[in-house]
Amino acid sequence: MATTDSATQLPDFAGAYADSPAEEIAAGTSPWRLAMRRLRRNKVALAFGALFLLIVALALAAPLYADHVAKTGPNSQHLGGGDQIEVDGKKVDPVALDGVPIGPQGFKAGGKYVLGADGGGRDVAVRLLYGARNSLFIGVVATIITVLLAVLLGLLAGYYRGWVDAVISRLMDILWAFPVLLLGIALGVALAFGGVELGPIAIRGNSLWIPTFVIGFVSIVYLARPIRGQVLSLREKEFVEAARAQGASDRRIMIGELLPNVASTILVFFPILLANAILLEAALSFLGAGVQAPNASWGTMLGEAYKLLITAPHLTLVPGLMLVLTVLAVNVFGDGVRDALDPRATIKLER
Amino acid sequence: MRSTLRTLMGLMAVLVLALGAAACGGDDGDDGGGGGGDGAGGGGGRTGGTAIVNYTSFPDYMDPALSYTLEGWNSLWVVYTPLLAYRHEEGAAGAELIPGLAEALPEVTNGGKTYKLKLRQGLKYSDGSPVKASDFEHSIKRVLNLESGGSAFYLGIIGAEDYVKKGKPKGDIKGIVTDDSTGDITINLKDADGSFQYVLAMNFASLVPSNTPFENLTKDPPPGVGPFKFENMRQSRGYDLVRNENYTPIEGIPEPKLDKVTVSIVKNQQRQVQDVIQNKVDWIIDPPAPDQMREVKAKYSDRFEEYVTNSTYYYFMNERVKPFDDENVRKAVNFALDKRALAKRFGGLLEPGCNFLPPGMKGYEKIDPCPYGVPGEAPDIEKAKQLIEEAGVKGDKVTVWANDEDPSKPTGEYLQDVLKQIGFDAELRIVEASNYFTTIGNQRTKSQIGFANWFQDFPHPRNFMFLVQGSSIQNTNNQNYGNVDDPEINRLLDQANKEADLEKAAPMYAQVDKLLVERAHTAPYGHRKLANFTSERVDFENCTVTHPVYELDFTQFCLASGGAS
Repeated sequence: MATTDSATQLPDFAGAYADSPAEEIAAGTSPWRLAMRRLRRNKVALAFGALFLLIVALALAAPLYADHVAKTGPNSQHLGGGDQIEVDGKKVDPVALDGVPIGPQGFKAGGKYVLGADGGGRDVAVRLLYGARNSLFIGVVATIITVLLAVLLGLLAGYYRGWVDAVISRLMDILWAFPVLLLGIALGVALAFGGVELGPIAIRGNSLWIPTFVIGFVSIVYLARPIRGQVLSLREKEFVEAARAQGASDRRIMIGELLPNVASTILVFFPILLANAILLEAALSFLGAGVQAPNASWGTMLGEAYKLLITAPHLTLVPGLMLVLTVLAVNVFGDGVRDALDPRATIKLER
Repeated sequence: MRSTLRTLMGLMAVLVLALGAAACGGDDGDDGGGGGGDGAGGGGGRTGGTAIVNYTSFPDYMDPALSYTLEGWNSLWVVYTPLLAYRHEEGAAGAELIPGLAEALPEVTNGGKTYKLKLRQGLKYSDGSPVKASDFEHSIKRVLNLESGGSAFYLGIIGAEDYVKKGKPKGDIKGIVTDDSTGDITINLKDADGSFQYVLAMNFASLVPSNTPFENLTKDPPPGVGPFKFENMRQSRGYDLVRNENYTPIEGIPEPKLDKVTVSIVKNQQRQVQDVIQNKVDWIIDPPAPDQMREVKAKYSDRFEEYVTNSTYYYFMNERVKPFDDENVRKAVNFALDKRALAKRFGGLLEPGCNFLPPGMKGYEKIDPCPYGVPGEAPDIEKAKQLIEEAGVKGDKVTVWANDEDPSKPTGEYLQDVLKQIGFDAELRIVEASNYFTTIGNQRTKSQIGFANWFQDFPHPRNFMFLVQGSSIQNTNNQNYGNVDDPEINRLLDQANKEADLEKAAPMYAQVDKLLVERAHTAPYGHRKLANFTSERVDFENCTVTHPVYELDFTQFCLASGGAS
């Protein structure tokens, strides 16, 4: 982390800066507070943050929508003669004999098939919301797994250096060498087939935890490397030496001194990793290596949609737009967070 | 022939890529108008000219000893002819056996174990070399030695297993005795097999010269006796079928009307359909993709037709594993299936049915009334629920097995939903398609219920009934997925399988079919439909003959008289 001469730099827990006259900030204002202030001024970022929260709220409300509006479950198929719906006084099959489903009905069918049906006569709106639960769950939990593991590895490698660093860095290099998507597919397919059994923990092949762990695992490198680099530089700073001189243990230095100093990096990376995880989940599910049928996720919905791209475009557009909106919301909000914490940094998930 | 289906489904999967590639318009093969040729004008369509057809993928092999897919057989059966063959006709007439390279149908003696045939005289391969009786033994040796997918059909010949064990290509198969001077061919079987004549009529048993090497000859297929010969083999991109000048017509196997059929591989299925619409391509082997089906049916119905194949789609129910060891539970599943709903998951390309045997198969007698309600009408979910409750298995965990391709995956999802409705705690297990049948065919998997299907290898009910015969149960690579082992069915099948006269055996197979359904040993729900879609250049009325085993017959395929080229 750079040292300080301006309030626009990364926050520092020592509170040694933030004294720029341009910002007219009272002495002693915490850099976190400064960051929050900058974030609050970024209305676009806040709007997209709110959009993301709205999507999360909709996802959480999925069972309510399913039970009270659409009156069907996410995996309930409606292909039989008794499943006809009434639209403008006419009886309509949700899926025609040639397998083509009806398109979005709005509220013409009393809340049923608001966004249309899919090939199995399932309600796309219900599947979209349940899919959102799965996609967001996997995205968020996978990102948390990534952050926990990456921070641990980054701290260990950067602080201990030597053989610990050598081992961890080489492992990272190996992980880095695989294209993420291919590694994800390989792991996803292999684990989904047989499930995982680790001692008392048994995860079934169709569990959401499998894509979650796979995505969490393959993304570690994105964060572990920058953290290691930062820790390598931080461990030479005076405050670390001071702590060491006071007899602080390695663990205490890592958790008490180094971790808070990399917190802003973690915060900046979190939304980027989250957006990436949601996209990776969609890609893996599209290819059959993520969420397993019949469970919905935006990726599986897209995977089932391509066959009817022309006759039932809503199957592609609805989950596709949802995916775009969510990733956009996370990314724009993430950019806002980054600007607030470190306006000069340009952070991208690139190799 | 499950591989047929796999290919079919593979083709559907390719659609993903096709959609992606559509914008790029990848040039996978020759196209553009063929045509030309002098119209000699016969009854219905003209003779001569070139037709262009599209396959979505290159056939597995272009070697009669090895090919085991619809694409392969579709081309190979007009290039190679076995000792026995099928009449080139539609429907039941096409399933009738006729002498191919043999003078007459075999004389069966020794209690159905000895088959005597005599080779026609004066036959020539497409390269002009004479056909000899010993070529038959060589052709069977190639099938066995190359470990072809069809080798199992010929292991019933005495000495065939020994020949395989020794692994020497030039070894002898004791049970096949040939005499080149007289053209006599005698085949001795270990056990009587009523369907062996059909095995002799399979492409695998087509004659190739005795000097044909023991290797996969896809790149340079061996000469054969048939209306067409291969030319211009373009590895993985296509080939031409051209008139074989050395072919002397055999009754039932006509000379080709066309001079040439150019087969091109075009992976993009959407493009294939577009090309047929625009008359750049004359026929495609796969039905139009679901997305284009409506347009094709609405606008081009005069050159589009669907037909039901000899295939059966069913759910197996493992009788060695709870809860499907209980007949009433299996009946409940049958009661709960909505076959019309399932047809929707096939994009309409499924003929709902109650029988296990397909309608085009000898021995098929429509089970009417169907004990589980009329196929195509609403299911009896309440009855199913009641049976499940009575059996005391309500809430039991059941795993439904399916693979990741269409239509297996959607039908698996459907079954899971139905099982939940009738009271099971059902879970879906999707397995990668290439491993699926070996997985559920392994007894250790203990797969309870799931997707299964079968396409005929030859038009004999035995080819379906082995799927439910006790003696075909194996620990691995089991194809009797439900471990159906009903003593009465076994006895009837033993009897029927030995009967050389299919007319006599047919009622026995029909009875087995009825028992299978009544006792709910499987849950059959329909028979796959395919479709012919041709360009306007083709005389659709007179020249699209769909053979029950080999699909479109290229010998009778022709262009419309005076049509544009």
